[in-house]
Amino acid sequence: MKSLLAFLLMASSAVAQMRVMALPAKSPLVTFRIVFTAGSACDPTDKPGLAYLTAMMLAQGGTKTQTYRQILDALFPMASSLSAQVDKEMTTFAGETHVDNLQEYYGLVRGMLLDPGWREDDFKRLKDAAINNLRVTLRANDEELAKEVLYQNIYAGTPYEHYSAGTAGSLEKMTLDDVRHFYASQYSQSHLILGIAGGYSPSFLEAMKRDFRALPEGAGFHPRNQPIKPIEANRAVIVDKDTRSVAFSIGFPILLTRASPDYPALLVATSFLGQHRMSGGRLYDRMREQRGLNYGDYAYIEYFPNGMYLMEPSPNLARTRQIFQIWIRPVEPPTAAFALRLGLYELHRLIQRGLSEEEFERSRDFLTKYVNVLTRTKSAELGYAIDSLYYGIPNYNLYIKTALAKLTREDVNRAIKRYLRADHLVMVAVAKNGEELRKQLADDDPSPMTYNSPKPAEIAEEDKTVEKWPLNLKAEHITVVKADEVFQ
Amino acid sequence: MVIGACFVLPGQAAQAPQKIFPYSYSQEDLPNGLRLVTVPTEYPNIVATYIVVQAGSRNEVEPGHTGFAHLFEHLMFKGTEKYPHARYEDTLKRIGAASNAFTSNDYTCFYTVFSKEDLATVLAMEADRFQNLKYSEAEFKTESLAVLGEYNKNSSNPMARLSEVIFDTAFDRSTYKHTTMGFLKDIQDMPHQYEYSLKYFGRYYRPEYTTILVVGDVKPKPVRELVDKYWGAWKHGDYSPAIPAEPPQQGARTAHVDWPTATLPIVAIAFKGPAYDDASKDMAALDALAFLAFSASSELYQRLVIREQKLDTLSGSAPGSVDPGLFDIIARVKQAGDMDYVRDQILAAIRTFQERPVDAARLEAVKMRLRYQAAMRMTSSDAVAQVAASYVALRRTPESMNRLYDLYARLTPEDVQNAASKYLVESARTIVTLTGPASGGAQ
Repeated sequence: MKSLLAFLLMASSAVAQMRVMALPAKSPLVTFRIVFTAGSACDPTDKPGLAYLTAMMLAQGGTKTQTYRQILDALFPMASSLSAQVDKEMTTFAGETHVDNLQEYYGLVRGMLLDPGWREDDFKRLKDAAINNLRVTLRANDEELAKEVLYQNIYAGTPYEHYSAGTAGSLEKMTLDDVRHFYASQYSQSHLILGIAGGYSPSFLEAMKRDFRALPEGAGFHPRNQPIKPIEANRAVIVDKDTRSVAFSIGFPILLTRASPDYPALLVATSFLGQHRMSGGRLYDRMREQRGLNYGDYAYIEYFPNGMYLMEPSPNLARTRQIFQIWIRPVEPPTAAFALRLGLYELHRLIQRGLSEEEFERSRDFLTKYVNVLTRTKSAELGYAIDSLYYGIPNYNLYIKTALAKLTREDVNRAIKRYLRADHLVMVAVAKNGEELRKQLADDDPSPMTYNSPKPAEIAEEDKTVEKWPLNLKAEHITVVKADEVFQ
Repeated sequence: MVIGACFVLPGQAAQAPQKIFPYSYSQEDLPNGLRLVTVPTEYPNIVATYIVVQAGSRNEVEPGHTGFAHLFEHLMFKGTEKYPHARYEDTLKRIGAASNAFTSNDYTCFYTVFSKEDLATVLAMEADRFQNLKYSEAEFKTESLAVLGEYNKNSSNPMARLSEVIFDTAFDRSTYKHTTMGFLKDIQDMPHQYEYSLKYFGRYYRPEYTTILVVGDVKPKPVRELVDKYWGAWKHGDYSPAIPAEPPQQGARTAHVDWPTATLPIVAIAFKGPAYDDASKDMAALDALAFLAFSASSELYQRLVIREQKLDTLSGSAPGSVDPGLFDIIARVKQAGDMDYVRDQILAAIRTFQERPVDAARLEAVKMRLRYQAAMRMTSSDAVAQVAASYVALRRTPESMNRLYDLYARLTPEDVQNAASKYLVESARTIVTLTGPASGGAQ
């Protein structure tokens, strides 16, 4: 038992400059999360997307000794793969394999991350894929597009501004030398967190650490955070495209991350307002359940991409800056102004009223148990452990449960007042006839709702307030941009 | 009945075939026709309940009511007298449960993932809504708008439209002609179908259509006692739909979709395939063919995606549904001018599989992949439940998975060749293309 304990202690301590997060367990699977704390914030200002394209070249390109085709052939019978996720501060390579195939799988991963092949034909294929990802995939996804345009606007003038996967114009000009240079300067031991979980042996981990010591020790340039420009007044961006409905994302920066003492309190408040993909949130209830405006409405205090595909957030999107965000899923165009007003009204109401004791207890109790659900797979447990290392907090599950046990309603309501606001925010809409929507929002005329069924008196009464809820949007603060022009 | 299975790892294909579903489970039928499958797993504390109703868009036999199985999935969250919607939500929240539902062609599934001490609460609450669901016409109308909202959120994706057109073009009488979401005109008419919705509940939300899967940190006996207590009084129904059989297709079909915004062109080729089958080899052979011909390690993928770089993506999948479904191949093309070339290359690749047996070693690699893929999906109790539910939806037992994987293990190169020759034929083919405005992706 003693030796196991010694191993665990050693496994989670720093070795040389690289950091290791090791979660050995009796399992037929081994999960890898190999994280470099160098993401798109490290992109040179004239080369947005360089971190992204570099990661793709590693995860979807050949090595010095094997072509990508040979790698795909070798991975195929194992049903394994290596994925790459590039965010502002982290680039994560994740994969999982059966212990039967551990040596062979790891051999491929080692080659891909430590001995990349830098072939021109891989580069051309992945550059095309990166450009198509922007021009076709992102622009065809109204909800994700609204979210990313929101982030771009909020972080204007900082290294967080550009979409992590770059811009089409920048990707087109990128060269293989750019990518090689980024790799040489940023993929270092000091940026590395080696994450592994499951049924591997101590000697396997030791060998892996030895392999990754081949990376240079020091790190390349990492930009310093620049202050985020204050949002002087409510602003709106309308992305104009030929689409059936109107998708919204609303938000503003918050000076809070997982490392902040108020994080658990604000997590409770956000869970109450709009727990992701859950039907118990306030926004969901008032917008979808009571009024049938759309498919769902949620609130966030951390970046959460691909929300339409995921029931739970992906780990390893840790950032030094986060925003508060409301996601209003697509609404029918005639109800767009009303839906936007209702979202703002609910945010205002939360700030004014706070949570009642009963609402506080319900949301706190939910989160106390829900953290078990969040971390129930080895891959998620490992991902959260790496994020905790990044933020300098204890094991996430324990951290949240301990904090929630001590939390009071007053703590939550104080955090709401401190961090949230219902003005000075950015609203992004993806809609057809953008100019019409601009006029409608700027005119601020009432937007009464009509329903296909009688509503309770309480809803009808509330609607009288909501239909006139001031948007406080001046015409000069509303921008209309063609979908083909965003991230260009 | 308790069906034994030992804990085994995959990838041991050289020996006698091992059970791919690695858990011992109990499978029991209540007198009212309800089936209970309890699967204890090694994952501590968490329990997942997956309640499978064997009614999906396949059951939508009456004109004007496509999308109803999915609408009903939504209505099931409207509450009962005992647990009105707010109390239901409140209880789930207090116990920290993750809960949702989904609908497919063949089934509707309601799932909840929670801590083991809350099992009785969840089973009682679920039993209540399956037996005593109650909603007003006004609530019904509002919920039908949330379904339209769901259609709207999917509608910006060209793949959603492409899928609608493929099924609508390929099928004449089969209820697979419409997607699970349903035809837009039917979704827009849903608010007027309150009476029909009550009829739908009476038909399908019955014990004989339902299987409860309880997976995780549980033991079969106490689970059975709870299910007897809360679900025992549920009444058996008497409805069985006349689902039309699709007549044999008499010739190749084509369709085209003009997409209004920038996209890469797509070539989709579909063939009428067999129904799900765990007793004879055709469907299993087509599953293998989909990997051999169109996966990332296939010759065609290596050529069109990696070497020539004509394609952005290529995928193929075999059907596995209650009624005969489609074997489909989807190729996203970088340049519109290459669409005919890509189509011809896909058809030529299919011919090679019809003309000669595949290399036996490649088939063995597919078998190995199938086993590892299955094992690696089952990494938590809810993942095990989700896998089991997909087989329960088809054959009402996880054992069907073991039978299917035994078929995979016994596949020969000739089986794959025969299946390719029997199903991937011109007379059973539908080709759908999709293009956007001239501007597209990377030049």
